[in-house]
Amino acid sequence: MSLAPAIRARGVVKRFGQTEVLTGIDLDAPRGEVTCLLGPSGSGKSTLLRCIALLEEATDGLIEIDGEPLGFALGPNGERMRLPAASIRQVRSKIGMVFQQFNLWPHMTALGNVSEALVTVRGMSRKDAEAKAMAELDKVGLAKRAGHYPSELSGGQQQRVAIARALALEPKIMLFDEPTSSLDPELTGEVLNVMRSLAGTGMTMLVVTHEIGFAASVGSKIVFLDHGKILVEGTPDTVFGKPRHPRIDQFLDTYLDRGAAGLL
Amino acid sequence: MTSLLGYVTGPDGLNILSGLINTIILWLVGSAFGAVIGFLIAVARRYGPRPLDLLLLGYVEVIRGTPFLVQAYLLYFGGPYLCAGFGETSVCLTLDPFAAGLLGLSIYGSAYYSELFRTGFDAIPRGHIEAATTVGLDRLQTLRRIILPEMTMLVLPSMVNMTILMLKETAVLSIISVKELKFQVDIIGNRDYAFVESFTILALVYWALVEICGALGRAAEARLSRYRFAHS
Amino acid sequence: MSWELFRLLVEASGFTILYSAASIVLGFFLSAAVCAGMLSQNRAASTAGRLFVSFFRGTPLLIQLLLIYYLLPQIGLNVSSSVAAIIGLSLCTAAYQAEILRGGFQSVPRGLVEAADMCGLSALATFRRIRLPVAVRLTLPALTSEAIMIIKSSSLISVVGVVELTTMAKDLASSTYQPLPIFAAAGLIYLIINLVVAGFGLTAERAARRGHA
Repeated sequence: MSLAPAIRARGVVKRFGQTEVLTGIDLDAPRGEVTCLLGPSGSGKSTLLRCIALLEEATDGLIEIDGEPLGFALGPNGERMRLPAASIRQVRSKIGMVFQQFNLWPHMTALGNVSEALVTVRGMSRKDAEAKAMAELDKVGLAKRAGHYPSELSGGQQQRVAIARALALEPKIMLFDEPTSSLDPELTGEVLNVMRSLAGTGMTMLVVTHEIGFAASVGSKIVFLDHGKILVEGTPDTVFGKPRHPRIDQFLDTYLDRGAAGLL
Repeated sequence: MTSLLGYVTGPDGLNILSGLINTIILWLVGSAFGAVIGFLIAVARRYGPRPLDLLLLGYVEVIRGTPFLVQAYLLYFGGPYLCAGFGETSVCLTLDPFAAGLLGLSIYGSAYYSELFRTGFDAIPRGHIEAATTVGLDRLQTLRRIILPEMTMLVLPSMVNMTILMLKETAVLSIISVKELKFQVDIIGNRDYAFVESFTILALVYWALVEICGALGRAAEARLSRYRFAHS
Repeated sequence: MSWELFRLLVEASGFTILYSAASIVLGFFLSAAVCAGMLSQNRAASTAGRLFVSFFRGTPLLIQLLLIYYLLPQIGLNVSSSVAAIIGLSLCTAAYQAEILRGGFQSVPRGLVEAADMCGLSALATFRRIRLPVAVRLTLPALTSEAIMIIKSSSLISVVGVVELTTMAKDLASSTYQPLPIFAAAGLIYLIINLVVAGFGLTAERAARRGHA
C-alpha cells in the first residue's frame, strides 16, 4: 500500500505578465523523504516552491498538500475554483517554511519569534509557548541565545532560529527556499547540519538549493528544473550518475566549489 | 451658495481679493527670500569657517525649534523695542504688520530651506565629487557644474513640500493683523456671525491652492526625473 | 525680566506639554486607523483615509482649530475650548502620522509578512504583531519630528482662548510692556521642551535599533 505523496503538484503554470516562468510542472514529493529542487537561476525552482506554499498564486494547475487541495480545487464542472481563506489557513498549517532571507521579526527575540505563532495562532499560554519554543531552540542548538534579538545573531544562527520557528508549529512538511544562499560560506555548515538531522527524523522536506553536495548526500529525490520545465528527476544516482544529461554536466561545471567535485 | 457668490461679487469681494493677493505675495516673496537666504546659509555652513557654521547652526536650531507665532509676535510687538543708536538718533525696528509678516516668514523659511539644502548637499554621492576632483575641477567648478545640478533634482520634492508649508503659515499672520486672506474673511465672518461658513470656505480655498501646488510639483518632478541617478 | 514672570511662563508651559502630549497620543491611535483605511482593499475606506489626510495636511492648522471650535457647538457638542483644541490638534497630527506610517508600512520587508503568513497568523494578527510594530520602528525619526511639530503648533490654540505658554506670553507682554524678554523667554522654553523630546526620540531610536520590543 503506497501512501499519497506529501506534496502533489499537477500542471502548475506561472506567468508574470507575458513571461511564462513555469510551463506546466507535475511534481510529487514523497512522504518522509527529502526532495531537492535544483537548477540554474531563472529556472523557476523558487517560483515553484512559492506556488506550492501559495505565496504566489499559480496561473494554472493544482496543488495538494497531504491529500488536501491548497488554494484552488477542481469544481463540479472541472473548472479551477478558488478556495476560501479558512481552507487555505487550515491546509497551510501542515507546511512549515524557511526563507532565504530568514525573515525573523526584528522586534522580537529568538524566543519571541519561535513562540509568537504558538500564542497568537494556536492560543497557547505564553508560559507554555515559551517552554515549547525553548525546546525547539535547544534542538537547533540555540537555547543559550533565546533572549537575543535577530540583529545580535549571525546569519547561520538566524536561519536556525527560523527553522525552529517553523518546526514549533509541528508541520507535516518543511519547505526550504535556498536556505543557505544568503549565508557566508563558513556559516552554511551549521544550517545544513540541522537540516541533515531533521531529515534523519523522517520529516518530509522539499528543498530548493544550490548546495549540490548536500542534495546528493541527503536528498532521496532530485528534481532538476530548466527554463520552467522538469528536465530530469530521480534518485541522486540517476540524475548525477554517468552518463549524464548534457545540461546537468554544464550546470555542475559551475558548481565545483559547492561539493559537486566529488560527482564529476 | 448664492450667498457665497453674493459675497464675492458684492462690496466685500474687493476686500477678499486684496486679502488673497496679499496672501499670495507674502507666500511667494517670503518663500523666495527664505529659499535664497536658506541656500546661502547652507553654502556658508558647508564651505565656510567652523565658527560661522556653529553660529548659523544656532540660528537654524532656534528658528526651527520655536513656534512661528512666537517669532511673529517677537518681531511685531518686540521690534519697536529693538533699537540701535541713542536718544534722538535711535532707529527701532517698528514694522507695520505686512512688513513684520514678510520678514518673519522669510526668516522662518530661511532656516527650514537651509536644512533642506544641507540634506541635498549630503545626499550627493561622495564618488561623484571625487570623480570631479580626479578630472581636475576645482571647488567652485565642482559646485557649479556637478553639485548644484544634481542637487536640484534631489531637493525638488522637499522644496515643494516646504513651499506648501509656507502657504499655510501665511494664515498665522492674520493674528498680527496682516491684511491677508484669513484676516479679511474673519472680518466678514465676525460681522455676519457666519463663523463656520467662513472658515469652511477658507479651508477649501487653501486646500485648493495646496492641491494645485502639489500637482505642479509632481509634474516638475516627473519632467526632471530623467536626471535621477542611474541604478548601479 | 523678573523670576516671577519666568515662573508664570514655565507654569503655563505645563499646559502646553499636556495638550501636546494628549494630542500626540490620541492622534497616534487615530492615525493607525486612518492608515489601515488608506492601505485597505476596501475602496470606500481607502478613499476616506486619503481624503482625511489630504484635508488635514492641505489646510492651515489655525483654520482647522477655528472651524472645529465654532462647529462643535453647532452640532450639539458643547465642549470646553481646551477639549476643542485637543480635538483639533489630534485630527491634524493624525493626518500627518498616518502619512508617515503609510510610508513605514510600505517599507516593511515583504518577507516578514510572508513569514507571518506561513506561520498561520491572520491578517489582523499580522497587522498588530508584525506590520505595525516594525513600521513604527522604521518611522521613529519622522514621528519624533512630528511630535516636535505639534508642540510648536500648539501655540495656535492660544487663539481659541486656551491657556498655555503662548497665551501667557502674549498676556504678560502686553501687560508689562516687555515683549522682547518675554517672547524670547517663551521661545527658549519651547526650545528646551523640543530638545528634550528630540532626546527621547534618539533614545527610542537607539533601543529600536537593538530590537527592544
